[in-house]
Amino acid sequence: MAAGSETKHNFLEMTEIRKSFGDMTVLHDVSLSVSQGEVICIIGPSGCGKSTFLRTANWLTPADGGEVRLAGELVGGVPDARSVSTQTKELNALRARVGMVFQNFNVWPHLSVLENVVCPQMVVAKRRRGEAEKQALAALAEVGLDDKKSEWPDNLSGGQKQRLAIARVLAMDPVLVLMDEPTSALDPELVSGVLNVLKRLAQKGMTMIIVTHELGFASSVADRVVFMEEGRIVEEGAPDVILQTPKTERLKLFLEKLNITAFKPNSDSAGHPTMDSGS
Amino acid sequence: MSIDLSIITNYGPQLLLGFWMTIKIVVGAIILGMPFGLVLALGRRSRLAIIRFFATSFIEVFRNTPFIIQVFMLFYVLPFYGLHLPAEYVGVVALAAFGSAYFAEVIRGGIDAVAKGQLESARATGMSDWQAMRYIILPQTLPIILPAMTNQTLSLVKESAILSTITVGELTMAAITVQGETFRPFEAFIMVALLYWALNETLAIIMRRVERKVSRRTSSSSRAKVVRAAPAATEG
Ligand SMILES: Nc1ncnc2c1ncn2[C@@H]1O[C@H](COP(=O)(O)OP(=O)(O)OP(=O)(O)O)[C@@H](O)[C@H]1O
Ligand SMILES: [Mg+2]
Repeated sequence: MAAGSETKHNFLEMTEIRKSFGDMTVLHDVSLSVSQGEVICIIGPSGCGKSTFLRTANWLTPADGGEVRLAGELVGGVPDARSVSTQTKELNALRARVGMVFQNFNVWPHLSVLENVVCPQMVVAKRRRGEAEKQALAALAEVGLDDKKSEWPDNLSGGQKQRLAIARVLAMDPVLVLMDEPTSALDPELVSGVLNVLKRLAQKGMTMIIVTHELGFASSVADRVVFMEEGRIVEEGAPDVILQTPKTERLKLFLEKLNITAFKPNSDSAGHPTMDSGS
Repeated sequence: MSIDLSIITNYGPQLLLGFWMTIKIVVGAIILGMPFGLVLALGRRSRLAIIRFFATSFIEVFRNTPFIIQVFMLFYVLPFYGLHLPAEYVGVVALAAFGSAYFAEVIRGGIDAVAKGQLESARATGMSDWQAMRYIILPQTLPIILPAMTNQTLSLVKESAILSTITVGELTMAAITVQGETFRPFEAFIMVALLYWALNETLAIIMRRVERKVSRRTSSSSRAKVVRAAPAATEG
């Protein structure tokens, strides 16, 4: 949901991002501009470069060409005139404000649930323990994990692990959250719990880029859906336009394929691929 | 051949003195060698090629040459460059350098055994490479490497016997002296062997306690990881 009059255009500006692995070009000068408060869902077939593109947004995967700016500040760019140590310092400072949620959670198994959320606040944001714990408890409550704060992550279900990963991100007060298939590694019955958390975040105006195969979720939460194929953005626009009236043959094929494999084509609950944009 | 117990009573104190020197040298080598091993392991991962080169060369040289040659190099060659150190200091430094090369490889294996996503998720929060190591990777590495670190420590105790060749008054040196004075090699060396064995057994027991303590703090799946990573960590 765009935050009305406060909407600031070009909050995240990704310009002509190019990336190759060996001889294989994975991203062909891909550009994306995201406004503050906007929720973007990226869809596309496996191997089309969604993850790679998302990971250039916080320069976790450095691009070979193009640049990324967040609120005007350079996240990364090729060429980059800054010295390596300046780059690293400024990048770390920017990453502290950009959260990332991974497909396989990447919670830290040697730290308790609470400490998972406290640790980056103290190490990166330099908060005192008292404040960090207060923020952590608030973030855990937001994702419904406040009663698990003393648990070890390994004793959590997949859905709980992913919500922990989200709490870890939220406690840092991010201005942007990047998510790479946050529900793909989950058992079907755990998907909706995570998606509901994401919906609430979207309603609160969090700027998010979410790579997902959950079309039902995309259509109800996204402000814009971006369809990628073979390292390019092929179509983008409002979810109902993109998902109901695809212009290109490739998107049509992609949606058909997803619909055939969908568990319940017209499911009313979030979490199943569906063309239903209602509710 | 009968055992002459009077040798134990007469020369026991002399052997214990050597034993004490062995303990001091090994402890010194561990205190210097483990942190330096960590430095070497991190050096191999450095962004700077020159640091990677030095760390790798150091590890390769000390792992692929006989310890006795390393000891001779330090003891006989350094004085040519005007560096005169007492034999005990040369012994500690040589043992620490030798040990650090092995510790480094164990630590590196442990770091590699921690899932790649752990480092990525730490860096994504804005942690520097070092912060991610310090708070996220190394704590998970510790339970993985402890068994192999124990093995390396025990072998340092045994290697320290070589220092008798440069006149360090440690346990083996003491045994050779007693043997020379009494012409009773059996009594002298059996006692020494028992003392080495006792030292290593004590160390092993302590380390097993530490291992249990560390793995109790970590969760079930990282314990599973310990088991899976153990062969990789102990090789080399
Ligand atoms: N680190 C890497 N080294 C080499 N090739 C890579 C690397 N990461 C990705 N690739 C390749 O780049 C292409 C795009 O990968 P990417 O992970 O971005 O696709 P994706 O759209 O996220 O796919 P999926 O839906 O399966 O997650 C793939 O062909 C992949 O094999
Ligand atoms: Mg992917």
